[in-house]
Amino acid sequence: MPQKRKLKYMAKKYDAIVIGAGNAGLCCAATMAKNGFSVLVLERNSVPGGSATSFRRGRFEFEAALHELASVGTKEDPGSVMRLFSYYGIDIDWQYEKNAFRVIADGDGGYDVTMPAGIEDFCREMERSVPGSFESTLAAFKLGAKIGAGFNYLSSGNVDPQVLFSEHADFLRAVSHSVDECLSSLGMPKKAQDIFKTYWPYLGAPTSEIDFAHYMLMVDSYIRKRPAMPHLRSHELSLALEEVIVKLSGEVRYNCPCEKILTKDGKAYGVIAGGEEIYADAVVANCFPDTAYKSLLDPEAVSERALKIAGARKISSLFFSVYLGLNRSAEELGIKDYSVFLFDTPDSGEQYERSASLDTTSMVVANCLNCAVPDSSPEGTSTVFITTMLREEAWGDVRPEDYKKLKNKFAKKLIKLYENKMGISLMPYIEEIAIATPATFARYLGTPCGTPYGYELRGWDTMLCRIMNAKNEQAVENLYFVGAHGERGDGYSTTYANGHSVGEKIAKGVQKNGRS
Amino acid sequence: MADHNLDSLDPMAFTRLIPTRESHFAAAEARIPADYPANRLAAALHPAYQHLVVSEVKAETKDSRVYTLVPDGDMGCTSLAYFDAGQYLCVYIEEGSVVTQRPYSILSSPRDSLCGFYKICVKAVEGGFVSNHILENWCVGTKVRTSAPLGEFTYEPLRDCENVVAVCGGSGITPILSLAKAIAEGTEELSLTVLYGSRLEESIICRQELDILSEKCENIKVVYVLSHEEKEGYERGFITASKIKKYAPEGKYSLFMCGPEAMYKSLEGELSGLSLERKQVRREVQSECFAPAPDSPVSVNITVKAHGELKTVAASGKDTILRALEKAGVAAPSHCRGGECGYCRSRLVSGKVYIPEGLDMRRLADSRYGYIHPCCSFPLTDIEIEVFPKR
Repeated sequence: MPQKRKLKYMAKKYDAIVIGAGNAGLCCAATMAKNGFSVLVLERNSVPGGSATSFRRGRFEFEAALHELASVGTKEDPGSVMRLFSYYGIDIDWQYEKNAFRVIADGDGGYDVTMPAGIEDFCREMERSVPGSFESTLAAFKLGAKIGAGFNYLSSGNVDPQVLFSEHADFLRAVSHSVDECLSSLGMPKKAQDIFKTYWPYLGAPTSEIDFAHYMLMVDSYIRKRPAMPHLRSHELSLALEEVIVKLSGEVRYNCPCEKILTKDGKAYGVIAGGEEIYADAVVANCFPDTAYKSLLDPEAVSERALKIAGARKISSLFFSVYLGLNRSAEELGIKDYSVFLFDTPDSGEQYERSASLDTTSMVVANCLNCAVPDSSPEGTSTVFITTMLREEAWGDVRPEDYKKLKNKFAKKLIKLYENKMGISLMPYIEEIAIATPATFARYLGTPCGTPYGYELRGWDTMLCRIMNAKNEQAVENLYFVGAHGERGDGYSTTYANGHSVGEKIAKGVQKNGRS
Repeated sequence: MADHNLDSLDPMAFTRLIPTRESHFAAAEARIPADYPANRLAAALHPAYQHLVVSEVKAETKDSRVYTLVPDGDMGCTSLAYFDAGQYLCVYIEEGSVVTQRPYSILSSPRDSLCGFYKICVKAVEGGFVSNHILENWCVGTKVRTSAPLGEFTYEPLRDCENVVAVCGGSGITPILSLAKAIAEGTEELSLTVLYGSRLEESIICRQELDILSEKCENIKVVYVLSHEEKEGYERGFITASKIKKYAPEGKYSLFMCGPEAMYKSLEGELSGLSLERKQVRREVQSECFAPAPDSPVSVNITVKAHGELKTVAASGKDTILRALEKAGVAAPSHCRGGECGYCRSRLVSGKVYIPEGLDMRRLADSRYGYIHPCCSFPLTDIEIEVFPKR
């Protein structure tokens, strides 16, 4: 039974209003609430979480978009997500996957390898698959530690250029060169590089563009801490965060879209939602800046520079996902791997190029949650979740009357691809099926093209550039953007961190300036 | 042995990052695309509301009418959202400041929606607030607000067998009628055998349309079953396993069921005789739940918070929380009313509720964190809940 919580009458003025209860919106609100702020969260859907949600079909409950969480760690050795959740007083039943991933790449120089978590084990397995790769792989992980130290030094707020260039030279190289450039410089054999780049779909940009520092932080957080999943799907994480907000007297309203952000003299001072004006000292938008500029703000409140920043950027990956509830257990079906990447070429640049069209893409990430969370579906059943990441241009106009056939045709292609490459039969055992296309994600997330990610992480627009320039890029005073489109890019651990850090910034700022 | 380091790369490249980025911004157009294909499609398929107007009313049987709904140009509605056969519309009934809603399956075909109309059938229900309101008030020209098409009672070729046996009761024929039309017009590809149960010959809904469809399309067969009348050319009694076996095609088939609660109850016992896998059995949920706990309290108080405002209403433990709120004139969201879609999801702040077995379709974490679906939860004590109606 739920705990007794106090109901209170509505206040029309809050310290902060958060538009959107996605990962970053929830964390931002929770952090502000922890700092004693009155917070109102507006969510247009009937559930929180954005992509961090689940849905039911028959006797199955599917994870909507999460493949695996990085930076969780254990109670003894907590990662950033575990530490943040502890700060909120949240205790999640985490389940871990012992392997990082299995990857099968067809074509010239192809391979089928299963990479374990743990840096030593990972490097040893790499050596077994690609003799002569141990040292360079280990060197990459050692750089990971240096990169972390570099970020910490930069964000300390007290940066001496001389110290930066002398003591953090490798960090500077890693933030200004691509994954491809850095792995080559490390002397990593080609095949080992290909295997090392397997995670690129999680960042949505080609490895010739993603800066090595960002990529390495992600790889490091998966391999060092092991991938983790919440026992009750992501919805558990979103509800745990929501509960923190509500317990601290914050309010979360569902089915309540923001209709307008109110501004005066270039400053945000509230919103219109549910037909009424609600005021706040700070407005936090968990939507894309594009969405806010186009439909929530008065045109005159948006500077030309803000529009140019948005205009220069490209929308990152779109998802096409097939969710299967199967009436056989994973063992019966012969599924052993939690996470499998299936590529039709070992070259990550080519994989990215081919994802520009439904006809050419054949890249798939497939997960069987039962391998990480055995009781995630009823006994004798299992679920398989197949996703392909697409580039924006892959999803053109589709007439509503052609939609069902198109999505079924493409879903069938993905299932067949899985069946052929894995040698596992799924089709006869489908008890429930759901198919989410970019249009489905657009319906629930409201993001441009339905991307669950943000802006593409091009080499000229890296995480570090975004963080360094964040102050100069605030479009409207008292209006803050958080989410996958933000400084740290997409991903659960990154959007949580992004929301939390903006929440802290607002809390400090308002304390300094006093509340109006 | 080679050195494994980054020494070949220029650390000074770091100093060029921000200037390069600024040059990209400077070169960009100060313009955001108005729209994207995925968002356009999402908006076309899932409008928040549809403003429609009744263009035709046809008395179907003694106690049912078929309404044709077309876009209401005066309200800015110019086209209808396309749908998959088997889906329903939520019809919003506004009485004063209170809005209640009921799901009605669309009986016209998906292609009909492109031609600018939907058809729904409304049957009188004893004590039924919405159905009787519609039958009494709707006429040609009545303005109607509905949801976008919703629901999962659809044919899925990657899941379902190519042969479908549909068992329908009463107005439960409507989603299957739409499916039959979709087959006839080529929108869906399957073979359909319909076992359609009615009380009397005269209570068969859309008889003429069904007969025409089965006549012109060899993939559609219709068998009429009368429970309260013996007549030549009709099966007599209730729909049983033996009747299903008699008409089912050879080999594997999927069983689609849509009808009143009593029909589902009687079929439950019959299913074991058909040796079907669970994946072969699909059931439309959309039916109001009238099954409180045997020891449900006669009267309770429900304290409800919506949009930050509090109200306490008296309720019977025999009503679902959703019905109790509607009777008391409190706006609460709902779509399927059968526990499945989760749109009515509300926060149970305190108190105890009863959820009939098989109707608890909540997400696992919702159960853990005290969320309920009021459409199929009954109060066992005084309760406090927070609901989230759209404004």
